[in-house]
Amino acid sequence: MIKGALAIFERDLRKFVRTPVLLLMSVIFPLVFLIIFGNALGGTIDHIPIGVTQEDLFRGETPLFSAAMQRMQETETFDITLYRSEEHAKTALDDGAVYAAAVFPAPYRTGGAIRLYIDSSEYLIPSVIESGFTGLIYGLGTPADIEILPIYGEIEYFQFFGVAVIVLAIFTTTMFGGGNTIIMDREMGIIEGYLTTPVKRSSIVLGMIGSGTVKAMFAASIILIVDVLIAGVIIRSLENLILILFVLLMISLGITSFIISFASRFESHVAYSALVAFFNLLLFITSGAFYPHIGMPDWLTWVSWVNPEFYSVHALRCIILRGQGLDVVYFDLVMISVFSLAAIVFGITTFRRTLE
Amino acid sequence: MRAAPFRTGAKRRWVGLSDTRDTLLPERIPQKHTRSVTRTDEQSPGPDIPPSGTDIITLSHLTKIFRNRTDVVAVDDVSTVVKAGEIFGLLGPNGAGKTTVIRMLTTLMRPTSGTAFVGDYEITRDPGAIRRIIGVCPQQGTLDPDLTARENLNFYGKLLDLSDAERKERIPELLKMVGLSDRANTPAGTFSGGMKRKLEIVRAFIHHPRILFLDEPTIGLDPDSRRDIWKHIRTLNEKGTTVILTTHYMDEAEHLCDRVAFMVDGKLVAVDTLENLKRAMPGGDLIEIGTEGVESTVTADLSRLENVIRVREADGIIRISAHNGSRTLPSIVSLLEHREAVITSITIRSPSLEDIFIHITGTKLDARSGGPV
Repeated sequence: MIKGALAIFERDLRKFVRTPVLLLMSVIFPLVFLIIFGNALGGTIDHIPIGVTQEDLFRGETPLFSAAMQRMQETETFDITLYRSEEHAKTALDDGAVYAAAVFPAPYRTGGAIRLYIDSSEYLIPSVIESGFTGLIYGLGTPADIEILPIYGEIEYFQFFGVAVIVLAIFTTTMFGGGNTIIMDREMGIIEGYLTTPVKRSSIVLGMIGSGTVKAMFAASIILIVDVLIAGVIIRSLENLILILFVLLMISLGITSFIISFASRFESHVAYSALVAFFNLLLFITSGAFYPHIGMPDWLTWVSWVNPEFYSVHALRCIILRGQGLDVVYFDLVMISVFSLAAIVFGITTFRRTLE
Repeated sequence: MRAAPFRTGAKRRWVGLSDTRDTLLPERIPQKHTRSVTRTDEQSPGPDIPPSGTDIITLSHLTKIFRNRTDVVAVDDVSTVVKAGEIFGLLGPNGAGKTTVIRMLTTLMRPTSGTAFVGDYEITRDPGAIRRIIGVCPQQGTLDPDLTARENLNFYGKLLDLSDAERKERIPELLKMVGLSDRANTPAGTFSGGMKRKLEIVRAFIHHPRILFLDEPTIGLDPDSRRDIWKHIRTLNEKGTTVILTTHYMDEAEHLCDRVAFMVDGKLVAVDTLENLKRAMPGGDLIEIGTEGVESTVTADLSRLENVIRVREADGIIRISAHNGSRTLPSIVSLLEHREAVITSITIRSPSLEDIFIHITGTKLDARSGGPV
């Protein structure tokens, strides 16, 4: 028994040592986790962009407004933008340019409440704004009522996170279904059969991306249904649903192209799985899925800019949680398209049409 | 190594078994990128097949080196031709480089140096055109185990650009040919080795390729399945398909091949028809006579008989190499009777391809580790 156990033990260790990717990943994985997780999920939320205005501002600023403006400029919690009117401030809030809009009462409305419109679709940020703002106003010593108005209603973390999980579903489906298929074909030798047919490398890559996209869309739709039925996410109209499906398709295509192109370079699914599992977590954590993007340190924000999942999560939250339209998410879609296109071109040009 | 008489020059290596010289001469290798043969229809084996006997594949100093920690020369300066309409066998022990030659010819690998033409096309410049005229059955299983027999064929039919109508007609025909009609809708992963192999072979000619490459088509199969596959290969060949197959089974080559090429350690050591190779054996036929023991003078007398080349005796068995064995046998038997030797058995056989292979290469085919014999 001991001899057998030793033989198994030795064989396994030999294989481990001979797979440099596994060896490297098993050391780097936890280290990167520490750095990324630690920074992405534990950052301080400050410099929150908020809009400020006062009713009938052209009639002059009230002492309350002036004092509050001065104090807000001094604190690090907020980065303030002054708007001409309530309407302008709310538009900026709707467009996602600011996380909250504070409207101070006009000079002639003595005793009127300050209306604080908050983007309630975010996690943590609304409560930071609320406590920061009320603390700041009460600190002025001038009695004033504050009316808190969450513009998207009460959104639970479950919904906030649930929407982001759609992106995770797309990634994992492609990782197992699309990426692995292309590697298993190579590993099992199935590819040797069809590489001797006239099929073009672009056909192979595009075919894989196409089927991967359909599978990813399927998984994404299931999670969307779960989000609606269990998390209580609301789909506002047929148009909203069509837009959601369109954005899901774009994201599925983008992430699938990314993974298939990456996978087509691998010979062994062990090395691929180790690397992709690592990328999966790296991309998902820096996408803002768990924790507001605003809380991340600058260097990690840079990772987000080159992360297609960041744009995907943002686009989905905009259209699902906030009911925003193409005018808000077009930039996300442009970025996702750029990633898709780059990945497809990379995938086709680097796909090896031989067994070497 | 023995067989020095066949070596005609260091540069050209092994050439000139009887009349094969011209098949290996470099000047017969086309210099131009595309030869001036015009064909109208590349898909059908009909009238576009080049006249039987013209060169359809030409290998010119084809070399493949796998660069790793230590460089391995898998294919070493191989030059030969395959003629249209023949079944050409590439023989050699495991690791001789047969599969690598096939992989280069079927565009799966690029040569390190040298070149080859398949049909009218050069393997590195026109791989796409080559893929349209060849059918390939690789050595290891390449069926998708999750797809059914029909789906596997359909997949390849589509990759090979067959129309819906062609596929609809061809697939049932192929399934019937290999007796898999009733298993058409079963996943290929559940098939036996023989069934898988047959399916892969018919898959290789779903599009009526002009040239069919079969890499170890019957490896690991039972005798019935092997005979079945041989029958299919011969039928295809009779319809005009040129077949190149690799094997390390001598009986397979003897049953199927018009010409064979011997490969050892990446080098081509002989190319010829079986008849010519056999004729080249110095030993002629082999006669084995079992006796209850003979005097040593008997063997000396036997070796003096006409046509007898060599006589050896061990453990009561006399082994005689003789030209024209069946005609020489009566005089051998009468000599033995005259000397009152008791004959217990007589066998007479032509040298097998295995004997020829050993004679030419100095290596056994199935027992590479055993070294020279």
